[in-house]
Order: sequence, then structure tokens, then C-alpha cells
Amino acid sequence: MEQLIGNNLASVAGFRPELVLTFGSIALLVLDLVLRRSRSRRALLAGAAVIVLGLAAVLLAAQSTASTPLFNGMIASDAFATFFKWIFLAAGFLTVLIVAQGDDYPSPRVGEFYGLLLAVVLGMFLMASATNLLTIYMSIELVSMVSYVLAGFRKSDRKAAEASLKYVIYGSVASGVMLFGMSYLYGLLGTFDVLAFAPKIAELSATTGAAGAATKLALVVAVVFVSSGVGYKIASVPWHMWCPDVYEGAPTPFTAFLSVGPKAAGFALALRFFLGSFAGPMGANGMAESIAGIPWPAVIGVLSAVTMTLGNLTAIAQTNLKRLLAYSSIAHAGYTLMGLATLSALGMQGVMIYMLIYLVMNLGAFLVVIVVAEATGSESIFDYSGLVHRHPLAAIAFGIFLFSLTGLPPFAGFTGKWYLFYAVIERASGPAGFWYGALAVVGALNTAVSLYYYARIIRAMFLEAPHVTDRVAPKLGYQLMLGAFSAAILVFGIWWAPIVEWSQRSMVMLRG
Amino acid sequence: MIDRAEVWVFWVFAVPLIMASAGVVVARNPVNSAMSLVAAFFFLAGIYVLLTAHLLAFLQVLVYAGAIMVLFLFVIMLLTTGDQDFERTRLKVMQVAGAFGAAGVVAVVVLAVNRLGPMPMSAVPSNFGTVKAVGRLLYTQYLLPFEATSLLLLVAIVGAVVVAKQRI
Repeated sequence: MEQLIGNNLASVAGFRPELVLTFGSIALLVLDLVLRRSRSRRALLAGAAVIVLGLAAVLLAAQSTASTPLFNGMIASDAFATFFKWIFLAAGFLTVLIVAQGDDYPSPRVGEFYGLLLAVVLGMFLMASATNLLTIYMSIELVSMVSYVLAGFRKSDRKAAEASLKYVIYGSVASGVMLFGMSYLYGLLGTFDVLAFAPKIAELSATTGAAGAATKLALVVAVVFVSSGVGYKIASVPWHMWCPDVYEGAPTPFTAFLSVGPKAAGFALALRFFLGSFAGPMGANGMAESIAGIPWPAVIGVLSAVTMTLGNLTAIAQTNLKRLLAYSSIAHAGYTLMGLATLSALGMQGVMIYMLIYLVMNLGAFLVVIVVAEATGSESIFDYSGLVHRHPLAAIAFGIFLFSLTGLPPFAGFTGKWYLFYAVIERASGPAGFWYGALAVVGALNTAVSLYYYARIIRAMFLEAPHVTDRVAPKLGYQLMLGAFSAAILVFGIWWAPIVEWSQRSMVMLRG
Repeated sequence: MIDRAEVWVFWVFAVPLIMASAGVVVARNPVNSAMSLVAAFFFLAGIYVLLTAHLLAFLQVLVYAGAIMVLFLFVIMLLTTGDQDFERTRLKVMQVAGAFGAAGVVAVVVLAVNRLGPMPMSAVPSNFGTVKAVGRLLYTQYLLPFEATSLLLLVAIVGAVVVAKQRI
């Protein structure tokens, strides 16, 4: 028992950024009350949120990335988690910057928004490092619960209220199913510790014949149920239903956050879960095999193909930009799942690179939607016609983000897609190579489809005449952010070595 | 070895538990549904006692069947005004698919449990399931999830107030 307490106390050293976020979140809720009458409360609260995130970043940078289990194996601290933690911090920081300038979150309630946003960032930190079914569930719930509130923040807005309610209902069903699956997983394997799964599964499937087949089948059913929690977070088919409505109804800055933060957290969790406990260690060629030959890659591959196809085909018909980007984000979850389906080092790296680049390009795309909505009050594609005459910077930046989302060179999205496709094609020459080849073809076809609807926006912006000719004048801060995002997309489209090296270094994951 | 009486007691709790749980889903009237849930909580508490998890059984009755269900009933009574017309758009396809899915899952689980055979059993320590033992575990082995839960509850309360408060 002394040992357990000692481990908890020692773990605090590897938990400093999370502690800062915890106390920062609570402090912001209090600060919100203290500054109730202050004239510059908006700026002060945003500044406080930035300081908390900055402090967490400093402590994260100072922290060792050696793989260590923390809190008696509840979470892991390793280079892999640290990589994703940087993505979450960046997503939180950029969202604060966007919210601070806009009026989506009215001044009296903005303090609560920042406090709750920090709690979501903390939840995502835990998601990326959870190594126990209990912490996995807790972290997903922490992210979900707060997201429900932040999506329905504008009470007067019926759409936001509807979105929030739909989000709650889908979310509780997903987490209920996940818990059900977890209970069976525990019954089959006798442990909550994800790191201890691999040997238990091997042991369980050692029994041959009908008994082995039955237990394997039960294991597959249990894991599919557990993945509903993850699938819901990354918005993959068949858990994508909430996505368009919530993306459309929620305040746009939060939609932007939702599309990059929790999605990346879901992928971090999925990578750790599947690569850590359902696949053996990676061999010299960087490929892992699934334990006991359970066909996880096939399951994930089919999900990936269906997700991207459904997302892209449905996106074609959309005229509301937020809905269109919602379906596009479903499609991108599908592309990223390809990297998970390969169960290889290259696929894992592809997912990590893609989530990092996706953060920049998708936040950028939503920022343009915010800029245009603030000027015209509309999110319809028809109000984007002739945008280049009304606001050249927004139109050009949006063009860059859309080409990058398609995955065309020389934009950063190409780098991300390149690694994902490369990982699939690497597998295509091995066993079951035909199916990986088919997956790559489906992915390529989908990229072509996505070009069609992205190009529709670009054509409207550049080739069509504007309905109104008044100029859109976005705030200077928005202009700077749009410029910075576009610059990042262009730079990393040509010079991607730093991203690749960083993700290469971050592929160390704590294993049981 | 399992006591014969224990098996009997198990069935006494298990069968009504399943029936009450089914009642929650099947009942058309939300109040009936909620009352079935109370019954299910009680029978589940009985199962916990059989597993020598006395504290859990006690909390189950006190917190769930007591406090939370009262809240549920309040919400139902406040929100339901008279006879509500629930839109009944049921797709035949969905029903059939759902039935097949449920049957499939049950079949898989039954098969797996049957084939696994008898599990090795060991006696639980004498302090198993006591307040002290559970408390020790919560504050040592499971400290992080425990604290994460408290933060979750805090932000949930703040969130509920944010969403619910009328002005400001």
C-alpha cells in the first residue's frame, strides 16, 4: 500500500501540465466571477487562458519523454502522448485566439467558456495517455460532457440547442455501448489494464477448436462495442450521425475546435488501444501483426473505406459551408483510419502527421467561415461567390486550405496524405495485399470526389460574380491568423522534414 | 463450491432483474419506465450482495434507487404534459435488423460463456467489499480516475448552470 501511495506521489512529476490545466480551469471559473464588472474582462480572461495554456506548454516541454507508467498504470507518459498533447495545446490556444476576437461567445459568459475549454484540453491529454479501461472511459466522458455544454452555449439559438441535445443523446448511447463492451472485455480478459491485454488475448485464443472460435468472436464483439466510444469521437461511420448537425448548430469557433481536437484525441486513443494491445510489437520492417490473427486490419479497413465514401458523397450535396466541412471531416476520419488499418510504423506515423496538418488546415477553413459569417451573417455557399473581389486574403487563404484538404501538392495536406497512402501501399505487396491495394484505390477515388466539392467552393469564390459588392473587412487579428495558417500550409507542403522527424522521434509508445 | 442455496438466490434476483430492465425499455409511459428502473436497481443490489460487495449494494439502493431516481421522476413529471403523442415511425427493416443483431450478440455471448467452462474460484479476503477496503483502493490504486471524476462532476455542474440559467 505504501508502494501505491509512493507511486502516486512520484507520478506527479510527470503530470505537471495536466495539473496546470486542472487548476487553471478552476481558476478561470473563479476569475470569471472576480472580473464580473471589469471593463476589460474579455481581454483579461483570454489572457488568463493563454497564460494557463502557455504554462502547460512550458512544463510539457520541460518534461521527459521517457516511457513511464504513471499513477499505478492508469496513464502512460511517453513520446507518443507528448506529440498529441502538443496538438491539443495548439488547438486550445488557437481556439482561444479565435474566440477572443469574435462575438460567438458573448462577453458575460466567455469566462465559463475558457474554463470549460481548458477542461476539455485536460480530457484530451488523458485520452492520449490512458492505459486503463477506467481512465479511457473517464477521459472520453470528460471531453464529451463539456463538449455538450459548449456546443449548446447559445441558448437563444434554437439550432444550437438542438445540436447540443442531439450530441447528448448520441453521446450517451455511444458511451453506454462502450461501457457494455468494456464489461465483456473485463469478463474475458480479467483485467482493466490495457497494457496487459496482449498476453491475455494470446492465452485466450490458444484454445483451439470451437471454444477458441467462440471466445475470439466474443472478443471481437466486445472490442467493436468499445470502439463505438472512439468512433464517436473521431466521427467515423456508423457513429457519425451527430456530426453534421452538431457542427452546423454549435458556435463556429467550437465547431473548429471539435473537428481537430477531439478527433486527434480519438485517434491517439485508437492507436494506443489497437497497436498497444491488439497487435504484437513492430518487427524490423516496421510492421506489426494482430495477436491471434484476429482480423482487426480488415475491420478497420472496411470502416475506413465506408467512412470516407459516405462522407465525400454526402458532402457533394451540401450548400451550408459548416455542414459541408462536417461531411468533409467525416471523410478525413476515413482517410486517417487507413493509417490505423495498416498496423505498421509507417501507418502510425501517417496518422500522427495527418492529425498535425489537419489541425492547421481545418482550423483555417473554419476561420474563413467565421470571417465570412461575421461580415455577411451567412454560411451558405451562395454568399461565397465573388469573395475574391470582396476580400482577397480570405478567398486566397480558403483556396489554399481547400486544396490542402484535397491533398494536392505543393500544400501540406499532400504531405499528410502521401504518408497515409504510402503506408497502405507498403502493405499492398505483403499478405492480403489485394485488399490493401483496394483500400488505396478507394482512397484515391475519394480524393477525386472531394476535389469536386472543394473546387465548387473555389469556383464560386474566384470565378463567379459577387451578389453584393461591399467589401468584407475582417479584424486584423483574423487576417494575421489566416496569413499564418496559409504560410504554414505552404511551408510544410514543401519543407516537411521537421514534421516527419518530429513524428519519427515521437513514435515511442509504452508497451506492456 | 457454489452453494445450492446461493444459486437459488441468484435466480431469485436475476430473473426479475431482466424482467424489470426489459420493462424500462418496453413501457410506453415514462413513469412506468422509471419505476421499472427502480425495481431493476433493487434486484441488481441483491446480486451485488451475492458477490459480497455489500458497500456497492448499499450505495446502489441509497444513491441510485433513492436520490437519482427521485430526480428522474421529477424531470419526467415536469417535462411530460399530459398524454404525449410519441411519433411512431418505426421502420420494419430497422426492427428486423435490430432483432437479428440482438439475437446475434446474445448467441455469441452465450456460446463464449458456455465454452469457457467453469472458472477457477478463490475465496475473497475477509475485508472484501467493506467501506475501508473500497476506500483504500479508491485513494491508492485508483486515485487518478477518482480525482478525474471529481473534476468531471465539477465541470458538469458548471456546465449545467451555464446551460440552464435564464439571464446573463
